[in-house]
Amino acid sequence: MKTIDYDIRGQICPSTLLTALREINYHQEALHDGVVRLHFLTDNRDCVTTIPESARNMGYAAEVSREQGCYLIEVRGG
Amino acid sequence: MMTGTFLLLAGASLALGLGAGAVIHRADYCLAGMFRDLFLFRRADKLRTLVLLVVTTMLLFEAARLLGLLPNYPFPLFYAPSAANVIGGLLFGVGMVLAGGCVVGTLYRMGAGSLLSAVAFIGLIVGSAGYAEIFPFWSAFIKQTTFFPGKITLPQLIGVEPTLPVLLLAAAGGALVLRWRRQGAFRRVTAVAGDLQPWKAALLLAFISLLSAVVVGLPLGVTSSYAKIAGWIEQLVSPAHVADSSFFKAVPLHYRHPLTGVDLAGGSGPRFDAIAAIQFPLVAGIVCGSAISALLLGEWHLHRNIPRRQLASALIGGVAMGFASRMAPTCNVWHILGGLPILALSSLLFLVGMLPGAWMGGLLLTRLVLPRSAPSGGLARP
Repeated sequence: MKTIDYDIRGQICPSTLLTALREINYHQEALHDGVVRLHFLTDNRDCVTTIPESARNMGYAAEVSREQGCYLIEVRGG
Repeated sequence: MMTGTFLLLAGASLALGLGAGAVIHRADYCLAGMFRDLFLFRRADKLRTLVLLVVTTMLLFEAARLLGLLPNYPFPLFYAPSAANVIGGLLFGVGMVLAGGCVVGTLYRMGAGSLLSAVAFIGLIVGSAGYAEIFPFWSAFIKQTTFFPGKITLPQLIGVEPTLPVLLLAAAGGALVLRWRRQGAFRRVTAVAGDLQPWKAALLLAFISLLSAVVVGLPLGVTSSYAKIAGWIEQLVSPAHVADSSFFKAVPLHYRHPLTGVDLAGGSGPRFDAIAAIQFPLVAGIVCGSAISALLLGEWHLHRNIPRRQLASALIGGVAMGFASRMAPTCNVWHILGGLPILALSSLLFLVGMLPGAWMGGLLLTRLVLPRSAPSGGLARP
């Protein structure tokens, strides 16, 4: 499975969430087919809640892990 | 006695700022985001907790007033309503969305290492300096458009004691809060470290507001300090201009400190007065409280790879907020945490302006600042 990394640290609110939603929508077929997974690296605490919540509401799986004081949000096909 | 009062004001404000900064950082309690997300994402989860905050503060302030703890009620620096409240609120709403946070949001994010918020902070100072140039014209506009002269609050306007309208509105707001609680709307499921649930932050901030009102004698407010910084910087460049400025010469704050009985005064000019003693420690406290919270979590970062459009947006938003917070007069924190709980008419009008302002700011941000094309070029790896 191919992983696409997005470093969206330090961005203005709500750029982080909008970028994630846009990329999820753009890759929706590949996500559903299990061909690709998306990794979003963020330092925005609010988005650690909103990105996984939005992804799950769209039918994807989402997991959060901590990485060097930031958060890595993985979105993949549900 | 004066020195002791100033030390009390500074110490209390610093402590309240530290507490507020830590609480706001842990909950990411962004007032600008609450209004912005209502229009951008149709999300109202945090905005619901703001209702809880206002209702709780309303009851706490009224209880304190009845106990004689708020002798300056309604607080100094609240005035009769005018068109300036709506216009200032509108521009403030646009500015806070473009800046990525309001006047306090800018401080707590800056404390956690946000370069964008540091740029917005510079914008706030520039905007405050800009307002000084239109102060005579705008003061005349405020006088011309003031209605209900001498009436600061809704209870004053309808000629009743505050207790009944406060209880009626708090009951209505409380019913909403209970309904949302039953629906589970206050519970946030998150993987973020050291999370403070927003409803808990709302309650803590209501108590911090009460402490400020009782110990300092004023609700929480920070924006006059931005104007003071602008005055000090401008004084280095053109001292004669600052000395002639009617904005910097004005001393609008006059009140008797509720605990010491000392008469205090202050204004936006570059001098050490009661506003300096209150607001600079509060600002420092919010920045440091947030910084300490972020450091304890290992989340303090300074990121430099920020798109130029976002930096420009933060600067423009900061300038707009600095300008608007003097036009309105004063900012969202002052009006929402201090004015709405006492049903100040100017605060109600500020909110009327700020709502469409937040909507307009969201439109500008998504259409002009954030990239719209997909994809943004993520780094692919097998």
